[in-house]
Amino acid sequence: MLRLLCVCGNGMGTSTILKIKLKGICDRLGVNAQVESCSAGEALAFASNTDIILTTPEWGNMIKYPEEVVLITAVNLMDEKLIEEKLSEAVKTHFADEY
Amino acid sequence: MGILEFIFKQILGQAYILLAIIVFIGYLALKEPLSKAVGGAIKTAVGVLVLGVGAGSLIRTFGGILTPISEKFGMTGVLLDTYSTMVATNEKLGEFATWTIYTMLFSFIFNIILVAFRKYTRIRSIFLTGNVMLVQTAIATYIVYRFLHTSMIPTVLIASAVMAVYWGVMSGVLIKPVKEITGGANFTIGHQQMLGSYVAYKIGHKLGKPEDDVERINFPSWLSIFQDNVVASSVILLIFVGIMMFALGKDIVQGMAGTTHWVIYIFRTGLTLAVSLYILLTGVRMMVGELMMSFQGISEKILPGAVVAVDCAAIFGFAPKAVLLGFIGGAVGMIVGVITLIAVRAPILIIPGFIPMFFDNATIGVFANKRGGWKAAAILTFCSGVIQVFGSGIAANAMGVNAWQGSFDWATIWLGIIAVFKFIGNIFGISPV
Repeated sequence: MLRLLCVCGNGMGTSTILKIKLKGICDRLGVNAQVESCSAGEALAFASNTDIILTTPEWGNMIKYPEEVVLITAVNLMDEKLIEEKLSEAVKTHFADEY
Repeated sequence: MGILEFIFKQILGQAYILLAIIVFIGYLALKEPLSKAVGGAIKTAVGVLVLGVGAGSLIRTFGGILTPISEKFGMTGVLLDTYSTMVATNEKLGEFATWTIYTMLFSFIFNIILVAFRKYTRIRSIFLTGNVMLVQTAIATYIVYRFLHTSMIPTVLIASAVMAVYWGVMSGVLIKPVKEITGGANFTIGHQQMLGSYVAYKIGHKLGKPEDDVERINFPSWLSIFQDNVVASSVILLIFVGIMMFALGKDIVQGMAGTTHWVIYIFRTGLTLAVSLYILLTGVRMMVGELMMSFQGISEKILPGAVVAVDCAAIFGFAPKAVLLGFIGGAVGMIVGVITLIAVRAPILIIPGFIPMFFDNATIGVFANKRGGWKAAAILTFCSGVIQVFGSGIAANAMGVNAWQGSFDWATIWLGIIAVFKFIGNIFGISPV
């Protein structure tokens, strides 16, 4: 099972909406995933039990995370199609056996 | 105790059980498996109880500072923080605090109805920002109850009607500006500074040129630590709590501190306040995640393709430097506002918090920058910071609470709404509760 982490400013609004969208996206891609959300300030604490972090480029630059974690960034986190493409690509590249 | 009383008081009268039931029903309505519905309900209940722990800690810590301030200076301290305001108004509502949950449900239902009849109402957007909905509906419920002293059903219905119109109209006017900023994304902002954002979008071009885009400016990299909510919230509270404690004087603070050194005590109090807000946030996040799941699912079933109004941070990625500049502009404006209040010996002392300082002005900064570049963003967020302090002071005073939203709309539009309800209450000779 893949562990996804959505990160935004307060870990409240945007990351929660993204989390909801991701559940639909994962169903469509056939990826078995557990999705969590948090604020940029907390990301490191969560990142050690995470496979993929999803956030904007700005937050992505700021947060610290272990090397083995894959970072997916998008300027518009509300763009479901773009997120689906990026996630699908990341899963194929890094987690092919989970697919 | 009768069975009805047991159901209404002991079960439905407890916020954590009531919200858990709502989430449970929401999941079942969306045909999710039972295990998921039960899990969601439990997480909601835990979230509400975590929130309660944060609220208790907040009231204890903040109260400890407020009492000596009011004794020494005769000033009432008001904390500008979103979730603390909900705690304060729920305290005021006391045994009626669960009314606020019905207001949230009915506001959502009215919002859907207004969008369903969009041909006539011209309202097109569904508000899905659960964290904001929770807080706003709680405060609106108390506004109605405070000034009209109505019973449950009219209070809930009046508050919901006002809420739904505010959500629909204000998130609606931002549909076009958001499209412009995001290059065609189909969502809008449903938050707490929608008027401020709209004004910034409308007058931005008068204050500067869009070619002077803030994204071309390089900020020192250390400033980005203020985008870390834990760091920023602690630093801001530490500064303002520090100022207040210094104003009280070493002797009083040492008296409060007991055997702890007074400097260490100031440090610890500032951080403890930040911790309380952090626990509140954690609780809200846990329950809101579950609530939004149901809201989004239900609105998509009833009104597929409606424009969704989401958290303001959704547009931050499109202009990250405008976010930072807006935060700085707002912070400077708030500090100037607070100093002014002290200088004119106002009866209210404002303690700014991170959420209204950062999220409101970052959002207004993005809209202002789009139309008028960095100059417009700097000027408008500075003005917004000042307005947030003054407007919130008046609102908190009128509402008799020691915490206020602090966000732009709640220091402007809602000040007007409070005035209207106060006026109506006055006509009927009702004294505020």
